[in-house]
Amino acid sequence: MQLTKRLLMSVVALGIAGAMSGTALAADTIAIITPSHSNPFFKAEADGAAAKAKELGYATMVLVHDDDANKQSELFDSAIAAGVKAIILDNAGADASVAAVQKAKDKGIPSFLIDREITTTGVAVSQIVSNNYQGAQLGAEEFVKLMGEKGNYAELLGKESDTNAGIRSQGYHDVIDQYSEMKLVAKQTANWSQTEAYTVMESMLQAHPDIKGVISGNDTMAMGAYAALEAAGRKDVIVVGFDGSNDVRDSIKKGGIKATVLQPAYQQAQNAVEQADKFIKTGSTGLDEKQLMDCILINADNAEKLETFALKP
Amino acid sequence: MKITTLFVASLLAASVSGCKLVKTGDGEAAADPIAESVETTFDAKLVPALTEKAVDLATLQNAIKGSLDKAGESYGTRVGGAGGGWNFPVKGTATVLEDTRASTKAGVAEIDVDGDGKADATLQLGPVVKGSALRDTTNLYDFSTFRDQIEYAKLGRALNDKAVSKLPAADTELKGKKVDFVGAVVIRSASEKPLITPVSIEVAP
Repeated sequence: MQLTKRLLMSVVALGIAGAMSGTALAADTIAIITPSHSNPFFKAEADGAAAKAKELGYATMVLVHDDDANKQSELFDSAIAAGVKAIILDNAGADASVAAVQKAKDKGIPSFLIDREITTTGVAVSQIVSNNYQGAQLGAEEFVKLMGEKGNYAELLGKESDTNAGIRSQGYHDVIDQYSEMKLVAKQTANWSQTEAYTVMESMLQAHPDIKGVISGNDTMAMGAYAALEAAGRKDVIVVGFDGSNDVRDSIKKGGIKATVLQPAYQQAQNAVEQADKFIKTGSTGLDEKQLMDCILINADNAEKLETFALKP
Repeated sequence: MKITTLFVASLLAASVSGCKLVKTGDGEAAADPIAESVETTFDAKLVPALTEKAVDLATLQNAIKGSLDKAGESYGTRVGGAGGGWNFPVKGTATVLEDTRASTKAGVAEIDVDGDGKADATLQLGPVVKGSALRDTTNLYDFSTFRDQIEYAKLGRALNDKAVSKLPAADTELKGKKVDFVGAVVIRSASEKPLITPVSIEVAP
């Protein structure tokens, strides 16, 4: 009773944009904490986890941390106070999140990480992450091929606090930099944001009108960049994204954006809940903590099969 | 295990707080652990492990025609979840139909294994090599022991570079030659043409 009241109060106090479903304390609850659902990727993750949790008989507590490590820490306090049995987390910073996950562990609540790694092992039970580096290499190989192995290009970087921003950039450059005629003329962060990418792309185009390609750290930025290119009458510029969103799929089908890389977000979230369930029931997942899932190149050949971060058979 | 880690961590903490770290010479202590791992494992462990377990490519391709998963269970290792594939150590003898190194950095040799005059597999010659088949095909390199994907990826790249350095030099035209090869490959679907990362290619006399 008191617990419920306290939780509800903290939910109100924090203005959490999540939702509690079911009777939270009647059934066992799994907390699902991700970045903002304004990016469909994170929404797909949360939906995938929630669907699997319900299927396995759990109530869910769906929360968003908006990439703010302090807020994430408060959400962990709420989840701990609510007595959740497990936490599914797409974290708000590789270093900054270790303390929050440790805090839950100290209270006997296991965490199962998806999408992003943290820098310490032995704190979370599972870290199921997309092989961002492998995916970035796929994207870069396609980009280089589309560019004919040469020409001026720009890169849009993700949010610096997100470890995947760096991993993808590294994966891109490990491929592209091996081609001496590929020239990086501009490189800037647009913080995973579509609107920011639009503005950044506009100024990049002004400074470098001879640009032939843009490689982007994610799909929302690719969408923003392509919109700016289209507005400037530069639909000839080759744009490659990352994530495998339905928006980019539709753009590929119309001959806009040329390629993206699918991260199996929905599947990953479902796997995390399955592992949490097994851990709750048996005390072990039977798997390694760190698990890499490969990404898949999406272009005009297979875009049709893509739906909500999964490939239809 | 955990106690050891804690113990080492506290020792490290003690040494950091207790004394000043002085850089010596040109940084012997800061030697690249990945380069070191490649040096100590490539010839001594990886090549022997691949050679020992390698399945003949023609045998593998026949098995895959039956069922990729069955072929995988017999000869390979599953890596990378749903988007991943089966990793196989492979070997074979083939005729090189084409050598693309003069026209692209991601140079390859298109090879004919069954003698029908058509390419049925591809050997990556580099210098740009795709994928991490060399890293993933044996159990020598465990992701859990790496700080993050970048470190693990650097190892994959370093193994590829090392492999390329052992292949016939770019000025040795391979087209038309008969070659023996050993390497590793990832197969994601039964219909794909294997893209093999070789650790050795010997030109038959």
